Amino acid sequence: MELLITAAAQIATPLTMVCIICGTIVGVVVGVLPGLGSVIGLTMALPFTFSLPQIPSIALMLGVYCGSVYGGSITAIILNTPGTPQAAATALEGYPMARRGDADLALGWVTVASTLGGLFSVAIFIIAGPSLAALSLQFTPIEYFALGLFAMTCIAGVSSGQMAKGLVSGGIGLMLAAIGVDPVTGDMRYTFGSFQLSAGIALIPVIVGIFAYSEMFLRVLDLDGDKPDPAEMRVGFRVPPWREWRIRLGMLLRGSMIGSFVGALPGTGAATAAFIAYSEARRTSKRQENFGKGEPDGLVACESANNAVTGSALVPTLALGIPGDPVTAVMLGALVVQGIAPGPQLFANHLDLIYAIFLCLILVNLVMFATGALGASLFTRILRIPEPILIGLILIISTVGAYGVNGSTFDIWVAFAAGVGGALLRYLSYPLAPIVIGMVLGPTIEMSLRQGLILTDGNVLAFLERPIALALFAVTAAILLWPLLRSRLRRSG
Amino acid sequence: MKRNAIRTLAGVASAIAMTVAATGASAQSNRPVTVVVPFAAGGGTDITTRAMQSGLTDALDANIVVKNTAGAGGTLGVGEVARARADGRTLGMTPVGPLTTQPHLRALPYNIDSFDYICLAYSAPTVIAVAKDAPFSTLEEMVSHAKANPGDVTFAVQAIGSVPHIAGLALAEAAGIEMTYLPVNGDGPALKALLDGTADVFIPHVSFFSSNAEQLKSLAMLQSERLKEQPDLATAAEQGYDLDFPIWGGLVAPKGLPEEDVTRLEGACEDAVNSAPFQERMEAVKQPSAYMGSAEFTAFVREKYETNRVLLEKAGLLSN
Repeated sequence: MELLITAAAQIATPLTMVCIICGTIVGVVVGVLPGLGSVIGLTMALPFTFSLPQIPSIALMLGVYCGSVYGGSITAIILNTPGTPQAAATALEGYPMARRGDADLALGWVTVASTLGGLFSVAIFIIAGPSLAALSLQFTPIEYFALGLFAMTCIAGVSSGQMAKGLVSGGIGLMLAAIGVDPVTGDMRYTFGSFQLSAGIALIPVIVGIFAYSEMFLRVLDLDGDKPDPAEMRVGFRVPPWREWRIRLGMLLRGSMIGSFVGALPGTGAATAAFIAYSEARRTSKRQENFGKGEPDGLVACESANNAVTGSALVPTLALGIPGDPVTAVMLGALVVQGIAPGPQLFANHLDLIYAIFLCLILVNLVMFATGALGASLFTRILRIPEPILIGLILIISTVGAYGVNGSTFDIWVAFAAGVGGALLRYLSYPLAPIVIGMVLGPTIEMSLRQGLILTDGNVLAFLERPIALALFAVTAAILLWPLLRSRLRRSG
Repeated sequence: MKRNAIRTLAGVASAIAMTVAATGASAQSNRPVTVVVPFAAGGGTDITTRAMQSGLTDALDANIVVKNTAGAGGTLGVGEVARARADGRTLGMTPVGPLTTQPHLRALPYNIDSFDYICLAYSAPTVIAVAKDAPFSTLEEMVSHAKANPGDVTFAVQAIGSVPHIAGLALAEAAGIEMTYLPVNGDGPALKALLDGTADVFIPHVSFFSSNAEQLKSLAMLQSERLKEQPDLATAAEQGYDLDFPIWGGLVAPKGLPEEDVTRLEGACEDAVNSAPFQERMEAVKQPSAYMGSAEFTAFVREKYETNRVLLEKAGLLSN
């Protein structure tokens, strides 16, 4: 308790407060802009941390981190263009809701769900930090492989009744992910002698292409269906009433738990968590028939999940020194420069620092809520911008985003190609989210499978000897077989 | 439909015009110098480069922009430097791998003759590391265990053809042992593999080892002499193995820079390396400091290029 007060005193300085507020706002902005995501935001913040004291620099980075995960969902709702990979699932329900004029309501749902999901994981971080770190060490490559396969079943959840098309999209994602250096042998795959392709296809340009470009291409060609009347677009920020929330508390809790769990496993991440939570919500919801048409269940589930990743992803980063993704890797790099040595001792002996991070995270989530609520009238007003100007702006901003990831003009071509392909797929009503799922999970599944085979001397059956993996395989099989079984039962019954 | 398309084009054009107008204003005066870092932000190379930023800014009286071009084992970013115009406005902070090992492994659009070498900015040894609770505490204990149980010791490889990979292969050859090689995606995942029991040993940079010293112990430091910053780390040489595998890097420029520019940049690099902020930062990440001038660095790169080729050839990893 005494430490908590010390930590609070450390945080209650004007400098730290400025860092929290600026960091969160900058985070939301880079999240909103398609292509610019958490990594770019943190890279921008990195030089500032060198000249800031320890606590303010941590506050700055946490703000950018949490803000950017949330910010991506705003663009997903308003423009059907996830600002970050983490928000790809949000567009599935958020955009239809905005399209019918309720963008203010959609922002209300995601802002509250994001904040609560974030706060949930902050609680997990402080209560269960060390045990969560121990749990993540139970996951060896074999468990990762099982988890990756399980997450692939999300393709079914996001394909809304078009299973075959969803599988094709998922296959495209997996194939894109296979391009580049073979992670085990170092050989080149599908590069056709191109040096640029040896680094593989980056996820962000593809997301910019298949979502932002393709949406804009279809709008330019007037192929995007019935146009809503801009005058009917409600602007502002509307928090849904309590009776709407009450029936979705289960969704919120489950999303937060999925996010916190997935976040604690290094190498997975917020995009995976959001997709798992979304398809779980879809599988268990009482309002299944509304999915794909702007059902709040889906929004609440994926937004609570991807924001719940933030707190728990810090656990392996700080307690083990293992950053889970490029985002936490940048943060860890900056923390080490600040003289913080990660490891179990950090949670045991440096509780003042852990409490400071804990309090920063709480404040960041609250500032994030305020930014979202105040910014909503601005963001929703975007929908009233005359379409040609809007399309022009978005094309330019997303091109800058695609370029900005690696500062590479090649990535602009990748985005453009993905845009043309994406527009075609959209026109033929193929779901696009499975491409993201395939690209996100492909490398994990491949690497963990091949690592597992090296460890078991090529014996696949040895995978089943591990209890966690076996359980995950069983759940995967059950989810895949259940629809078949159910229809068989119905017929016989 | 057509009308909408035309209006969109107009929208694009006006937005581009605004962007150009906004950037054009500040474009001319003192043009910035871009330093390409071929790895992601937050990593060792990146942190070192950013630590030099203020020193270089002062010495060159120009803004220094650090640009991360990660991918394909660092070759993408190094390739970008090789392609850049030789006007002293684009430099690369190039570590050992993309310069002296990767060119032996695959066809690249550059080679060691594509650059003018300005200075070596850092060099630090690697360490053979095992988990704190591992059953061996010296190199000899691990070697005798590996001899008794061929393939039982699993070695986590952060990247194929990287210095740690070559060092592991050299160790296996020198000690006459057989290990299982487990590829992982970098230092963090290698540490995880050690902690969750998937792998037994890996070879990180001494700075990574030091910041995770709580969970790791060093069997041997791969350098001929002990480090004065960390005198308690025993070397491999003391234990009878002549293994010397530092991870180093330095500033390079595209080939063809005028002599006086090389000299000017060399001086700026030396100032930056000796500046107080850089030294403090290096101390914080527990990295010893090192410096070589242009001539010495050029000879050094060529020497390493050859020795690494021989090692890769022995390991059967050479591309042709």
